[in-house]
Amino acid sequence: MGTKIVNYQEEKKVYYKVLVGLLLLTAVTFIQPHMFMTHSTFLAQMVIAVIKAWLIVIYYMHLKGEKLITAMVWFAMALVAVFFIIVIGIDVSNFQYGADSYITSAPTAN
Amino acid sequence: MSHEYIPEIATERNGTEHEVQGWQDDFYGGKLGFWLFMLTEVMMFGAMFLALAYYNTLHQQDFLDASASLNRLLGGTNTVILLVSALTMGLGLLKMRAGDVKGAKLMIWATIILAAIFLVIKGFEWSAEYHHGIFLMHDQLLADSPLPFGQKLFFGMYFTMTGLHGFHIIIGIGLMLWLLKRINAGKVSQDHHILYWNIALYWDIVHLIWVFVFPYYYMIGAGGATGGH
Repeated sequence: MGTKIVNYQEEKKVYYKVLVGLLLLTAVTFIQPHMFMTHSTFLAQMVIAVIKAWLIVIYYMHLKGEKLITAMVWFAMALVAVFFIIVIGIDVSNFQYGADSYITSAPTAN
Repeated sequence: MSHEYIPEIATERNGTEHEVQGWQDDFYGGKLGFWLFMLTEVMMFGAMFLALAYYNTLHQQDFLDASASLNRLLGGTNTVILLVSALTMGLGLLKMRAGDVKGAKLMIWATIILAAIFLVIKGFEWSAEYHHGIFLMHDQLLADSPLPFGQKLFFGMYFTMTGLHGFHIIIGIGLMLWLLKRINAGKVSQDHHILYWNIALYWDIVHLIWVFVFPYYYMIGAGGATGGH
């Protein structure tokens, strides 16, 4: 198993490089609402989060080179995406009961 | 380094002893199983994010207003703390794999301390929100309060998800203390480190969840009440 062969200095270097990348992206998270894509904050924040997640999964969780587990993760992500597309992209986007539903017009909201 | 692996010994009813041939020697099987567990975590938090996105779509302005009222400084500090803790956990695993057991244990302690600081900060944050009348089944989140309904949904989800995440942090601290015990007992070593590997993976998934929790709750309203979607 590859994990028994340790190139300590090399792997440590990768850990620190990823740390710097994650810290920079965290800084971007804070400045983004005032600097760029100011009318699409939600989208920009989620894009930054996905990049951070990718760095963590590939380098900190050692998914690089893991074919079977990567396939499992992609499958799970695709499943989650399908649910989001059905629920948010289709169902909620065409919500027809805004005036009647409790979750859109609670009795105490006004 | 006088750290030797002590194998698991099982004793049968008739007193016969034999070495357990299980997960300690099946690195890939142990790792694969843990990834399957982590996918169940993704499903659980994924369902919560789905509910959050559902309510967000129906109450966009309320969500932006509620998000703008959260303490970004404390949330951001916790983000950096978790980020550094992921590094210490990873470096610890690396040290264990390189045979530096003492260094690995130090890194686990560093991760535990960072996790505890995270919880303390979260405690201060929740306490401040409670004193402003924002807490589950309390004051402004009660059904008859004048707070806009969408904000009630936002804060309800906020306490639920950050609470569940905090619970995962507590479990993580417990796992790390157990890991230290197993290392001291000689059950985890340079060549038998799957337990360490999986607990490091667990800590990474806890970090990963926060990577999405933080911007969704703290940052979407950062551009002012009119910014956002």
